[in-house]
Amino acid sequence: MKSCQHESGGISASIGHDLTFYIPLVLSRFLPYVVDVIKLWTTYKACKKKMDHLPETNGGTPQKDVVIKPDAPSTLFLEKHADYIASYGAKKDDYEYCMSEYLRMSGVYWGLTVMDLMGQLQRMTKEEILAFIKSCQHECGGISASIGHDPHLLYTLSAVQILTLYDSLHVVDVNKIVDYVKSLQKEDGSFAGDKWGEIDTRFSFCAAATLALLGKLDVVDVEKAVEFVLSCMNFDGGFGCRPGSESHAGQIYCCTGFLAITGQLHQINADLLGWWLCERQLPSGGLNGRPEKVDPFHTLFGIAGLSLLGDEQIKPVSPVFCMPEDILQRINVQPELVS
Amino acid sequence: MHGRLKVKTTEEQAEAKRLEREKKLCHYVAATTAIFEKRKTGQLDKEALELTNQILGVNPDFATLWNFRREIILCLEQEGSSEEMQSLCRGELSFLESCLRVNPKSYGTWHHRCWVMEHVPNPDWARELELCAKFLEIDERNFHCWDYRRFVVQRAQVSAADELHFTDRLITRNFSNYSSWHYRSCLLPRLHPDPQQPGRPTEAVLLKELELVQNAFFTDPNDQSAWFYHRWLLGRAEPEPTILCVYVSREDSSLAVAFSQPVVVTPGSCDLLLFADEAPLTVNWRTPDGRNRPGLMWLCDLPASALNEHWPQHIFRVHWAGGQSQKECVLFKGRSDGWCRDSVTEEQMFRCELSVEKSTVLQSELESCKELQALEPENKWCLLTIILLMRALDPLVYERETLSYFDTLKAADPMRSAYLDDLRSRFLVENSILRMEYAEARVVDLSGRGLTVLCHLEQLPLVTHLNLAGNRLRGLPPALAMLRCLQVLELDGNQIETLEGLPPLPRLEELSACSNRIQRPSNLRPLASFPKLHLLALRGNPLGDLPDAQSELAALLPRVEITLA
Repeated sequence: MKSCQHESGGISASIGHDLTFYIPLVLSRFLPYVVDVIKLWTTYKACKKKMDHLPETNGGTPQKDVVIKPDAPSTLFLEKHADYIASYGAKKDDYEYCMSEYLRMSGVYWGLTVMDLMGQLQRMTKEEILAFIKSCQHECGGISASIGHDPHLLYTLSAVQILTLYDSLHVVDVNKIVDYVKSLQKEDGSFAGDKWGEIDTRFSFCAAATLALLGKLDVVDVEKAVEFVLSCMNFDGGFGCRPGSESHAGQIYCCTGFLAITGQLHQINADLLGWWLCERQLPSGGLNGRPEKVDPFHTLFGIAGLSLLGDEQIKPVSPVFCMPEDILQRINVQPELVS
Repeated sequence: MHGRLKVKTTEEQAEAKRLEREKKLCHYVAATTAIFEKRKTGQLDKEALELTNQILGVNPDFATLWNFRREIILCLEQEGSSEEMQSLCRGELSFLESCLRVNPKSYGTWHHRCWVMEHVPNPDWARELELCAKFLEIDERNFHCWDYRRFVVQRAQVSAADELHFTDRLITRNFSNYSSWHYRSCLLPRLHPDPQQPGRPTEAVLLKELELVQNAFFTDPNDQSAWFYHRWLLGRAEPEPTILCVYVSREDSSLAVAFSQPVVVTPGSCDLLLFADEAPLTVNWRTPDGRNRPGLMWLCDLPASALNEHWPQHIFRVHWAGGQSQKECVLFKGRSDGWCRDSVTEEQMFRCELSVEKSTVLQSELESCKELQALEPENKWCLLTIILLMRALDPLVYERETLSYFDTLKAADPMRSAYLDDLRSRFLVENSILRMEYAEARVVDLSGRGLTVLCHLEQLPLVTHLNLAGNRLRGLPPALAMLRCLQVLELDGNQIETLEGLPPLPRLEELSACSNRIQRPSNLRPLASFPKLHLLALRGNPLGDLPDAQSELAALLPRVEITLA
């Protein structure tokens, strides 16, 4: 991960990196030593903006992976990452910033969480953010990614995570959030993302995490919700979006997170899923999202991944909520992991 | 000179690019502002649709705009005729297709297509299937497209058999097959369900599938997907939880029930019922750690009336889940305990009994894999599959060979060493338990096996002596508390740092933990709650170097004789 650092700070969208967080996240829940931690840790040899894709030709199907150049940095530029995040929102007319307005709430959650993990939260503009969140809560109780956008479970969770970080849940109507989440559960236990009805296990996680952080998990039919998530378990021990969907590391993060929150981790086939997950690690040390697929990434997940792997400069992060552990300790929401 | 092309400098190029992006951004912001304005003022019309066209074309993840489009369509649906709606939806599908060509992986685009197909007056599902086939041709691993295909298949009531044929075609194309094998794993149990094993196909189908997947991995041994699929074919369905063992102790006035799968006993429910001499007995069930989370062992205290030492015998019967599983054990007069335990081999705890047919197929597969391994010695998938096949055929007979293959595999795939060590540990524990069966042993020797993890502890509630010396254990799992009879535990020569989290072992008298990595007395805090512990050996641990270790330990464990040096 250190090998993908930029001079300006931040970690580039690069091969395997959001999964590089998801996988240790999931593995740390129940198989702490499965991923070759040493190899992952010592993958620091290159810093480059463009990654070379070098198919590994062992005869047959090429395995996409990166090549880490010999002059890449081997130390973590924590301050630069902090600087990058602190100044990120300032340039409001930046092209990418505008294009990503549809996920702004999540972007703020990523930025704040990574700053807190690095002990730099005070550099962020708390009051401005709280006002922003308040103006994103809609009549139905749900919260949108940004002002003028429509409410959705994804951004409702991000908002609740931010407010928990800041211990400021009072700026929104919490009861309405709870009602909103509850209203999205279907008969089969699944959750829609919003009133337009897209079903996805990501939303089961969003619902469970939101309610757990608010101490209101029991307002929904937890048993049915668990039944639905388990119905998305596949032949390889992994999970997909909906019943019948292929296993994917992001979905696996959501489903194991959901099962951790609902106390059902014993339903996972740890041997099988552990194998699938540790096979995500490529020779470079990075991780892909599923067999022979390569995916891009976020700074939060790189740093959080390193936290899970024991980097002492970074605060301990909860592998269930992807938030600093001390925050969750404060509100006493710390689900059991597989022992 | 005239007529010569002027070549821009890189500075000029960068500036031109910047200006272009600025212009694009300007346009983007203007359009989105206009869209939000129209929405705010309730102008749900074709112009609004046109504006969102431009934005969604470049940014299909802008979910709110898809919502707005739906609102507009619903509004127009009210106003227009069925034909107009048809035409509108057709236009929508066409627009969606152009979006997909630019970005075939946007959740918003695919979901909107689902929504349109559910609203269009005359849905053409055949055409949608073709669209899927087309997109899968471009990228066979596009899970959005596969999920959309499954949506279409369900609406159009395409048969599972037809879908199976579709995967046949893709698999014979022999490239990037994981999604197809995955789909087969869903279709086969639906088409040919095994009544004994929910979620799995019949054996006849499995055997044919084994042949198919074998062809795949012999043709391209580096294609992971076939090997993953093969592991599933070798597996079996999770059986329903059963009671493995009931153990009653007169001394502790307690009864322990060990299960094959973690279960939850809800207080006040009829989940787990106890009958003492035919009379129902109301008890409070708890797990050994007292936290009552899903677990493999549940305990209860017995009233004195149930353990009258003058009675010739007491019969205890335990019912799980309305009689789904039950066990009975007898406590005779003069005896301090009684139990009833399942046979591991009879109950097929660790592996399925094989039919002659299946056994033959797996045997021949094993031989073929060994041949392949000789040709491709570095192929880790083949090595693991050989191990799994041996495991399925005969874990005890193949034990030595299996261990040798683990060594070869770890050398070929060092990144997976930790996982392989854990898997190897599990197999070794299973083999020990299988051997125990024949000797009816209560003394278990698991020393010197390089174990990195302990498992199947629910199979060991009757064990009195356990030797785990000379392994690679970094800690002890809380599940060790299921060893209700354990008197002596040897842990010398491991890598144990702490016993934190270990619930009390009720019978443990002697613990030897020499040559580990215990740093300080507080790491041994749980031992203070062990009622019978009286001997503790700690030579060769870092805590031996601490000046006050002896006195701190004496204060922590006053009834225990401790050797530190």
